[in-house]
Amino acid sequence: MRRNPLPALILAVAGLCILLPVALLGLWSAAGRWPWPELWPENFSTRGLAELLAPYNRTGALLLSSVGLSLLAAALATLVGAMTARALAFHQFPGKGLVRFGAILPILVPGTVLAMGLHTVFLRLGLADTLSGVVLVHVISALPYTVSILTDVTQARGRGLEEQAAVLGASPTRAFLHGALPSLIPGLLSAGSMAFAISYSQYFTTLLLGGGQVRTLSLVMVPYIQSGDRTLASCYALLFVGSALAVFAVLEGLIHLWTGGRKWN
Amino acid sequence: MKRLAPLLLLLPFLALMGLLLWAMGCALVQSLGYIPAFGLTEFTLDYYKALFTDGTLAASLALSLKVAFLSAASSTVLGTALCAALLALRRGRRGALLLLRLPILVPHTVTALFLIVLLSQSGLVARALYAGGLISGQEDFPALLFAPGGMGMLAAYLWKEIPFVAYFVAALMGSVRDTLGEAARNLGAAPARAFFHVTLPLSLPAIGSAFLIIFAYAFGSYEVPLLLGSTLPKALPVQAYLEYTHPDLLHRPYAMAMNGFILLVSLLLALVYAALLRRKLNVGRVAR
Repeated sequence: MRRNPLPALILAVAGLCILLPVALLGLWSAAGRWPWPELWPENFSTRGLAELLAPYNRTGALLLSSVGLSLLAAALATLVGAMTARALAFHQFPGKGLVRFGAILPILVPGTVLAMGLHTVFLRLGLADTLSGVVLVHVISALPYTVSILTDVTQARGRGLEEQAAVLGASPTRAFLHGALPSLIPGLLSAGSMAFAISYSQYFTTLLLGGGQVRTLSLVMVPYIQSGDRTLASCYALLFVGSALAVFAVLEGLIHLWTGGRKWN
Repeated sequence: MKRLAPLLLLLPFLALMGLLLWAMGCALVQSLGYIPAFGLTEFTLDYYKALFTDGTLAASLALSLKVAFLSAASSTVLGTALCAALLALRRGRRGALLLLRLPILVPHTVTALFLIVLLSQSGLVARALYAGGLISGQEDFPALLFAPGGMGMLAAYLWKEIPFVAYFVAALMGSVRDTLGEAARNLGAAPARAFFHVTLPLSLPAIGSAFLIIFAYAFGSYEVPLLLGSTLPKALPVQAYLEYTHPDLLHRPYAMAMNGFILLVSLLLALVYAALLRRKLNVGRVAR
């Protein structure tokens, strides 16, 4: 059969479009002077790195608290997603269609509506400008993804093992913990990493609902992008993308460890 | 107990939904000019009318609609093509999928930085054109970013959403291709015919969902127009935030009317899509 070179060509172009800007950020982050119309920096400097590591910026603490906040939001979104998925997969109840629609609602409700509407509500509940408020809005934003991923996984796993355990005399809790949970772990980690990505990227919701009290890397990075200091902005952007990839690699690694490298979905 | 089980499982979800619906309700009530705390106690549609009659607001509305529609339409078409190319790959499909996940991970704010570095008038594309003698200075390079046309915003959404569509559609398109698409090929259909008459139509539900998600996102998101948009007109979300944080609290209903309009358009589109999908499914059932 004749090989059609078009698909490989399209993918190559797409790959170039994806990787070129990332590579350029790497170049900019280390650039010293790079004036128009030069195609290559005149010199390189560690100014960006030094600024990033400067003690007064407390970048390390910022990184830890951002990752921590997003891991917390991801864990909560995964837990709620798993419970909702179990109800959708194994139970019949009135209003099931509404629950399914509700689960995609946060995607359909535009970000500004979500943030400003919740801000009004949180002002009344005393949650505005608090960490809890920010975590809540991140959980709501990530929920459609965790519910959808985990409903698929829960349905695919079925409840066979759990029922067998129950028949053999295990209590419902024990049957769930030993029968169902182990096979759900990869799905939970996968939903968690998606939720982490959503939460870690949030800017507007954190800005409005945190009211300046909650600092995240995503929030701190934006003024540098606006300022036109391409070297510093690139440093922050690389730190952001690098740390997100690192968390992802850890979660993927955990899935790999758990399944022993077998294909799970 | 058995009947209570689903309710207990759904409790946290319902609590979060309650918050979301309350937030939407607040936004809608305030958009109708009812904020007793600010002494506004009469319901009115005036703030919505202003969206269409006030020159600045109408321009914002038109810009946001245009950018959201163009982003969603072009990303869906190009993303579907990318997905088809991906599925036609003989080798390296796993690696390609991994590559496509990178733009999904990169936030829109960083995408904006990419475009500033590449496409601004002192960006690397302009420098390359200058070096090649195609333009004679920065000002010869078209102002794509921060321009009223919204091309910079469109470019940012394309970079993020084309891979998203490919990734999002791949599961359904892959399974259709390997079953019914393969059957059509075995019955003698040429590859292009099998794709356009079987695989593509059956993948439409996922493609339509992707369009909807991107439209709603691009219509209501703040980051991209903040970093790449023009000063005038401002995209609707940026204008809405400006009104929301205006020192004169009486501007609040304008912000909420913009939010209300963004919300109504997105929900309306979702309902039309759901109806279309249901009709299509019914037609399919009758045909069988």
